[in-house]
Amino acid sequence: MSLLGAESRREIEIHRYPLLVYTLVLLGSLVLQAWLPRVVGRFDWFDLPLVAIVYFALGRRNPLQGTLMGAAMGLFEDALSHHAIGINGIAKTTVGFLAGSVGIRIDVDNHTIRVLLNVALSLLSSAIYLFVARFLLGLAVEWSGLTELLRAMGNGVIALVLFPLLDRLQIRD
Amino acid sequence: MESFIVRYRNLVVLLALLMAQLVGLAVQVRRTAGGPSVLNDADPRGVRLIRLWANALISPPERLIHASKIGVAAAWSNYIDLVHVRRQNEDLENTVDRLRLEEAALLEDARQGQRLQAMLGFQQRYIYATLAAQVYGSSGSDRSHDFYIDKGWRDGLKPDMAVITAEGIVGKVRDVFPHTAQVLAVNDTTSGAGVILETTRIRGVLRGDASGQLEVVGVTADQRIQPGEHVLTAGGDLIFPRGLPVGVVKKVVRDPDRDGLVDIILTPAAPLDRLDEVLVITSTEPRFPPQDEKDLAASATEENAVPAAIKDQVKASEIMAEKLPGLIDPNLPPDQQPLNDNSNPNPAPQPPQPLHPDEFSPSANDDSNTGPAPNSKPQTTPRRNP
Repeated sequence: MSLLGAESRREIEIHRYPLLVYTLVLLGSLVLQAWLPRVVGRFDWFDLPLVAIVYFALGRRNPLQGTLMGAAMGLFEDALSHHAIGINGIAKTTVGFLAGSVGIRIDVDNHTIRVLLNVALSLLSSAIYLFVARFLLGLAVEWSGLTELLRAMGNGVIALVLFPLLDRLQIRD
Repeated sequence: MESFIVRYRNLVVLLALLMAQLVGLAVQVRRTAGGPSVLNDADPRGVRLIRLWANALISPPERLIHASKIGVAAAWSNYIDLVHVRRQNEDLENTVDRLRLEEAALLEDARQGQRLQAMLGFQQRYIYATLAAQVYGSSGSDRSHDFYIDKGWRDGLKPDMAVITAEGIVGKVRDVFPHTAQVLAVNDTTSGAGVILETTRIRGVLRGDASGQLEVVGVTADQRIQPGEHVLTAGGDLIFPRGLPVGVVKKVVRDPDRDGLVDIILTPAAPLDRLDEVLVITSTEPRFPPQDEKDLAASATEENAVPAAIKDQVKASEIMAEKLPGLIDPNLPPDQQPLNDNSNPNPAPQPPQPLHPDEFSPSANDDSNTGPAPNSKPQTTPRRNP
């Protein structure tokens, strides 16, 4: 991957989208994440909000936006479950920040890199979730490494299909 | 200071958000003595507000998608996929006829059972009022086995109401919103219900494991527990009425944490992964549906009508007896009673005289009634050889 100066790359390759796209994609990811498990049963090895956060944070190359977006999405995810609000919030906040920070330094138009980053950040999100729930809060959270790996792979596959489609919605100068 | 914040703005915002969420988590969780931490029973006001916002934001589009899916499925099944419908209809009509007969019999059995239990003073919780609801969404996380239904407190739902299907128990209402409610499934790790094995009568606590399997935990090892045994609700948790199907024993595994105890893995009776419609038990008061109440009232009226009719018949026979001449007239001496009147045109036929009188012959009875003559020898009946 080619490395450029942070400021120069940010000026060159910031992806911009209409506000409607942000709203629909983020809201849609939350809605589908809540609805699709009923259709696919227990094969719900994906985290659509996380895929959306990573995509926009990488594209926007802005850690601040990534952080806020991740916090909001994580809190909403927590609110839909019966668990404590904030566990997913912390995980997604961190992922959004990291994706925004990494986006400054890498070529975000390379699909392979984006997909690999997606898989890595999915695993990181699971690890943070487990750390906060089990070690910080002391909750009895049962955990399966295989499920988390499958979820990360599922996110990678979704990113492979979804990212090129979302790229078409960019505002081009 | 200002330049520091501006320079490290991203990091400061990140830390501020993480800290705020950690503080928020701290007020939602409480430590237990010696055990793991647990969530507070009631959400703090702010947390409840966030849940309400999330529900208000996510529920409408989710219900729209669900309604669209139902519409497409209904169009397909009602207008396109109609193969074998006539045959199925005939089969269903036959089934309905059979079930009507069975229902009538069961209704009477239930009524009888109620009477007996009332006599024994047995406290039994019955399912009498349920509310049908559509499942339209889930929490979206496999770490949290809960789902959303399209009925809320405006429909009379309250927390801790039991949720079932015709096949078996499903969960309990956890959070109630105006038009929707969150249901905690029985296969969640935080769920719990008292259950009993149908034949061995072994009791245990039902919960879910990390992969969403149903299991009865902390049961003393027992050779009698075999795969295939049915598991029912025990009724002691004050949520699920007793006797509802829970599942079937799939296998028995050793409890990894405690020696001498086993965990019983169950196949759930209700399809927990693919729920479409559920019933919420809104009342456990002993009350039948209106139609059944009407049938019972009609049945009771008929039952009361039978003794009344018998009483009328007895009264009529007494009147007839007064009007018709009797065989015994209390005003006449015994020798002039109508019973001894030989003028009856149809006298009762006299039995023929036996050829060989024995002790059972009427004449012998007459002798026995009058008593044997003094010095007379007892008669002996000759025995016949077979």
